[in-house]
Amino acid sequence: MSYERITVFCFAASYAVALGLELLHLLRPRPIHRLAALVFGGAGLLAHTLYLAAQQLPLSSRHGSLLFLAWIVAVFYLYGTLHHRRVAWGLFVLPLVLGLVCLGTLFDGDPGEEEGFWLSRLFAFQGDRFWGAVHGTLLLLAGVGICVGFVASVMYLVHARRLRAKTPPAEGMRLLSLERLEEMNRRAIVLAFPLLTGGVLVGMALMAQAASQLQGWTDPRVLTALVLWLVFAILLYLRYSLRVRGRRVALLTIVAFVLLVVTFAVPHTLSGGGTP
Amino acid sequence: MILLAVGCSFRDTPVAVRERLAFDAAKLGRSLDELNGRYGCEAVILSTCNRVELYLARPGADVGPDGDLVAEFLAEVHGLPLADVRPHLYAHRNEDAVRHLFRVTSSLDSLVVGEGQIAGQVRQAYETAHGRECVGPLLNALFQQALRVAKRVRTETGIARGKVSVSSAAVDYVREVFSHFDDKTVLVIGAGKMGELTLRHLRELRPKRILVTNRSPEKAQSVAAGCGGAPVPWEELDDALARADVVLSTTGAAEPIVTWERWQKVLARRKKGAAVILDIAVPRDFDARVHDGDRTWLFNIDDLKRIREATLHERLKHVAPAEALVEQETGAFAKEWSRRRVGPVIERLTQECEAKRRAIVRNLFHKLNGRLTEADKQYIEGAFRKLQSQILHGPIRTLSDAMEEGAGGHEGHTLLDALRKLFRLHD
Repeated sequence: MSYERITVFCFAASYAVALGLELLHLLRPRPIHRLAALVFGGAGLLAHTLYLAAQQLPLSSRHGSLLFLAWIVAVFYLYGTLHHRRVAWGLFVLPLVLGLVCLGTLFDGDPGEEEGFWLSRLFAFQGDRFWGAVHGTLLLLAGVGICVGFVASVMYLVHARRLRAKTPPAEGMRLLSLERLEEMNRRAIVLAFPLLTGGVLVGMALMAQAASQLQGWTDPRVLTALVLWLVFAILLYLRYSLRVRGRRVALLTIVAFVLLVVTFAVPHTLSGGGTP
Repeated sequence: MILLAVGCSFRDTPVAVRERLAFDAAKLGRSLDELNGRYGCEAVILSTCNRVELYLARPGADVGPDGDLVAEFLAEVHGLPLADVRPHLYAHRNEDAVRHLFRVTSSLDSLVVGEGQIAGQVRQAYETAHGRECVGPLLNALFQQALRVAKRVRTETGIARGKVSVSSAAVDYVREVFSHFDDKTVLVIGAGKMGELTLRHLRELRPKRILVTNRSPEKAQSVAAGCGGAPVPWEELDDALARADVVLSTTGAAEPIVTWERWQKVLARRKKGAAVILDIAVPRDFDARVHDGDRTWLFNIDDLKRIREATLHERLKHVAPAEALVEQETGAFAKEWSRRRVGPVIERLTQECEAKRRAIVRNLFHKLNGRLTEADKQYIEGAFRKLQSQILHGPIRTLSDAMEEGAGGHEGHTLLDALRKLFRLHD
């Protein structure tokens, strides 16, 4: 079988069906709905994996980076669904996966700065190419942390809203406790921040080199990455120095996620005026 | 099947009567022995705060235990006039008695539908009777099946889903906010009865420490000693509130003891995260405005009762499937029991006819000795066998059908008795 025949539609449709089944489970709770959602989600992840392996997308392209990010979040979905079987995990993670896939699809054909599979460049240890891959990998992993924090924050806000209205715990969808969600958010942020810092620093070092074609500090992707880093720094300051918790941290994490999406969606602008 | 269930329950009988008809351990043992000895029947007595029921069976007999005799027995055991007892009793026979026990054990006839306690009480009643050798083949099979049916009903329908007690609902809310409790402090304010039960549930979460405060230091000391907590002087309530993660308030104060202003001062001193307050006092101990849905989560008695009502409402949706399951199991049990009862009779009838046929054929061969070939003998033997099976086919089929259709009802039993008498099938 040729894996090159697998298209984005194959796994996006599988994720969409899985999400539909999760919604059905919310309306009419039956174990079979959850199981079927898991099967479709798993099938989607398999197709997604084969697609990425077959296409060898460059991480520097918006299409590639968003599909890679969606793939890691889909793994997170599968892990979470198996680990927290009674929690409405898919209802929160699958829309994010689908959103990232759809956004990535919008940039299909975006070649990136360099052609070739980013992992092979990462392990090639060849000067700029290597550091470029390190930069992309660190930002991608930071992106995963932000996505996890985003999911935890949305779950937190929904759960807090239900509890504020004093909805009986057994009614509707089941969610993790507020403390657990806050903990998940905290860990995701703490892990993402050094990765983001590393990614930004490597990027800045690359930009400072003469070989770089970027416009410098005015490059929109560089700017949004710096704003994202700043929001993260504020987030950590609020969390650890001012001991701000709960809703405000969740809302700020959502802001960070929006900035992340912008960072991934905005292209680097080359000094010649074009976009790669 | 000769089975009788006699008793009274919360549905029609006031608690004053039920109390007088209830069996304590000593009376229960004596009564079981007496029922077994005096009336020669298998017996199980189920005595709970909501019902008193006697299950009696005579599997091999033609006549079942008499309901009036059981009423007399109950009156005699409890030293009550028969007229005070008889009007409150209901009686279910055979298949109806099976259905009743299955419904009771499955908690379909309980005050709180779906509660899990009754199955344990039925098991206890059965084990007590079993321990005194008062149960035989019918009640053994019936009670074991009743417990299996109850398990099926609980697992295959949503009848037992959700929490119906205020204290367990309170703990559910706490679990929605916190995931681990080994670093949490529980503060108990007051010493109300409901508080004790909720505290018992909270202790199961194994919090790091429990603090108890009360206007009366002695009461605080006593409650703290009972739950392995530490007493805190009433004057230090604000300090304790600032340290607590979960607050259980159950005082009898006429006015709120923690106003919104007081709580704001406590919040300013708190270094911890969210606080969950379970205010189960009436009148309420905490100002409702302290519930901000961010740092303070307040749940009062009305919120907790709402869970109970929602759960009960939800459970009612599962009553119809549970009843259908009980009906199916009742039919299956009655058929199985009829089959067990009719099986030996048919076997004995067949054996008797078989013996008679062999004797006749043997005599015939003896008289015609030398005049029959081996082939003739085989032909004659086959013809007699065919005649026997054709004669027996009708009655056996009719009896089996009657037992199956009526699930061991009146018609089946009449035919079974007739068959026994007509063919002189005695034990």
